[in-house]
Amino acid sequence: MTKKRKRLGAITKGSLVEGLEMKLDSAQSIEEIKAGKFIVIDGEKNQFFSMITDMRLDSTNPEILLNPPDEENGIMREILSGTNTYATVCLKPMLMVDKTTCPEEKPEIRPVKSIPAHFSGVYEAQDEDVSKIFGDEGLGTKYFNIGTPLDMKSPVCLNLERFVERSNGIFGKSGTGKTFLTRLVLSGLVRNSKAVNLIFDMHNEYGWDARKEGGGSAFVKGLKQLFNEKVAIFTLDPDSTRGREVQPDFTVQIPYNQIEVDDVLPLEEVLNLTSTALESSYLIRSRFEKEWLRTLLDQDSRDLSDFAEEIGADAKSIGALHRKLSRLKDFKFLTKKAPQVDAVQKIMEYIEKGKHIVLEFGRQSSLLCYLLVANILTRRIHHRYIKKTENYLCTKNPSDEPKHLVITIEEAHKFLNPCAAKQTIFGIIAREMRKYYVSLLVVDQRPSGIDDEVLSQLGTRITSQLNDEKDIQAVLTGVSNTAGLRAVLASLDSKQQALILGHAVPMPVVIKSRNYDEDFYRDMIKSSYTGKVVDISRVIARW
Amino acid sequence: MNKSGEVLESSTREVMAECRDKDSIPPLGSLVKIETTPVILAVVYNVFTYCIEPNRRPTAYGLSIEELEEEQPQIFELLKTAFQAVIVGFYQDGVYHQFSPPLPPSLHSFVYPCSEEELKSFTEGKDFLRMIMNLNRGQSDEIIISFVRQAWTAYKRDKLFLIDMGKELSILFKDDYDRLRSIMRRIMK
Repeated sequence: MTKKRKRLGAITKGSLVEGLEMKLDSAQSIEEIKAGKFIVIDGEKNQFFSMITDMRLDSTNPEILLNPPDEENGIMREILSGTNTYATVCLKPMLMVDKTTCPEEKPEIRPVKSIPAHFSGVYEAQDEDVSKIFGDEGLGTKYFNIGTPLDMKSPVCLNLERFVERSNGIFGKSGTGKTFLTRLVLSGLVRNSKAVNLIFDMHNEYGWDARKEGGGSAFVKGLKQLFNEKVAIFTLDPDSTRGREVQPDFTVQIPYNQIEVDDVLPLEEVLNLTSTALESSYLIRSRFEKEWLRTLLDQDSRDLSDFAEEIGADAKSIGALHRKLSRLKDFKFLTKKAPQVDAVQKIMEYIEKGKHIVLEFGRQSSLLCYLLVANILTRRIHHRYIKKTENYLCTKNPSDEPKHLVITIEEAHKFLNPCAAKQTIFGIIAREMRKYYVSLLVVDQRPSGIDDEVLSQLGTRITSQLNDEKDIQAVLTGVSNTAGLRAVLASLDSKQQALILGHAVPMPVVIKSRNYDEDFYRDMIKSSYTGKVVDISRVIARW
Repeated sequence: MNKSGEVLESSTREVMAECRDKDSIPPLGSLVKIETTPVILAVVYNVFTYCIEPNRRPTAYGLSIEELEEEQPQIFELLKTAFQAVIVGFYQDGVYHQFSPPLPPSLHSFVYPCSEEELKSFTEGKDFLRMIMNLNRGQSDEIIISFVRQAWTAYKRDKLFLIDMGKELSILFKDDYDRLRSIMRRIMK
């Protein structure tokens, strides 16, 4: 162990299951110790990379606590500190590295199966430890710098290849920077070309200029500005998109005959549809097939009882269904005639070319619209992916292999709540994982609303501050030994801090997320692997 | 340097020395050195006066000290002042050792007060405190208070010195928080 390391204390007790306890050296201030901090325990044969999960104040004598030193008697307090009164810090060892490995060999990083001996020294981690564990962008395209551990400068890298292997989640209370974290991750995926992204952009935050966190008039660049040709902006509301001086690549229109009953099912909660009304829609579907919705909405409300009689349904439920689905008429992107270019076809073309798509909703930012469109498009895209995958499995021709698609959805609990997850396409994608080359990036502020089965399948979770006990519990679903992580999650700062755990990082870690600023833009437009820089003046002109 | 006294009784644990005059009496809790080989260091824990005539007892005359010196000068020849000091270490080969010396100081060796520099060098270690604590005569607390106050003055009332000393005492006193608090309060007054 190098001498430069700052010693924090010594291990005094603990267990493999419950974690370890360290007595903090009296020279160290307890206030400098933060939950989530990345530290190293120097055992006899192994180094244990650990996270601080909790801390508490202890004393050797209860009498001191009954008669504490006077407020003005600072000397007495300092005398007692570290001798009669002391701080105990709880640690959770996450990984261990054999110290006896020759310096030339790459040390093997293993899960913790042992614990360090009594009084092993505990030290602050150094930058080299972070790169040893989390990799380095210089090591290849699979690593993407997402931030730094607390109080450190060395970057924590996400392993993007592992990240896209499964569905992932980004969680956090409103205003804690979910959108920024999502934009960071998406930038990484786009820059390193690890998957093609389809982003359902409810609030027009990913494609072009987005308001800077913290309000004010400052704006940050969107993906289109950073990656230009690699990213296409699709819109449901071309007027709104153009109003922001953005030229959309494609205007999405959906004919009524593409809407299935299954696409209406997830709207049950938003439209307050009853199960009888939904059953009636199946009746209409069986009679009018693809034109079911247009036929229903074309009915005059006065003639509904005749219509109900004609198809053999209850008049009241048909009335309710008609009344509630009539809200869809307000959506300008829903057309009676099939548009010249089918939206799904266009999306597939772009995906095949490896172009990432941001679908802006413009002023159509109602939850109803978002749920409807995301479901309709995803269902068809998924259907096509199944066909493509089956074709690839038959031909085994590498050129037929579908490009990995990551679909980003916001307000995910509306799609993936225990009821909807069993019915909607998103529930299926979350469970099927990468079998059909489609995975999800779910962004949500209320993870407790998401189905447990879906949560447990999420590979990597990036979580900003959460306070609700249910939400914390939900984020840690499917993660073993979560006692320490709970405290860490609850103590995150409300800005720029996140806990990352799961498939894409070797151990859970709290990060201060990377700044989304000029340096970041510069990094993104640089072809990272070759070190080749594209003509910056052109890019800046584009901004 | 003025002598503080001359050793009249000696062991490896403590010494008793007589002072030649009243100006040379070392204060309670002061660090003294006994000029033998090696130099032995001790902390004064008791200062007392006695009469060298076994059959005579001092009696009250109702006079001031000056009047007494003029009218009854012989009584000052009969009264002597001595002090007892607990041995807390020795100085050998340029190092202060804070444990008992191998041999007691020789009788009639001279005792000198330690300088501030010597006091500071000696108190860099804190193990001697246990030897004062072991006095077990109900007065170790008073000796510790006197000693630490003198050492703290030598350190120009440096806060860090007092904290170090306090930490050592808190370890020695284990669970006796009241005792520690009382001692520290009196040191700081």
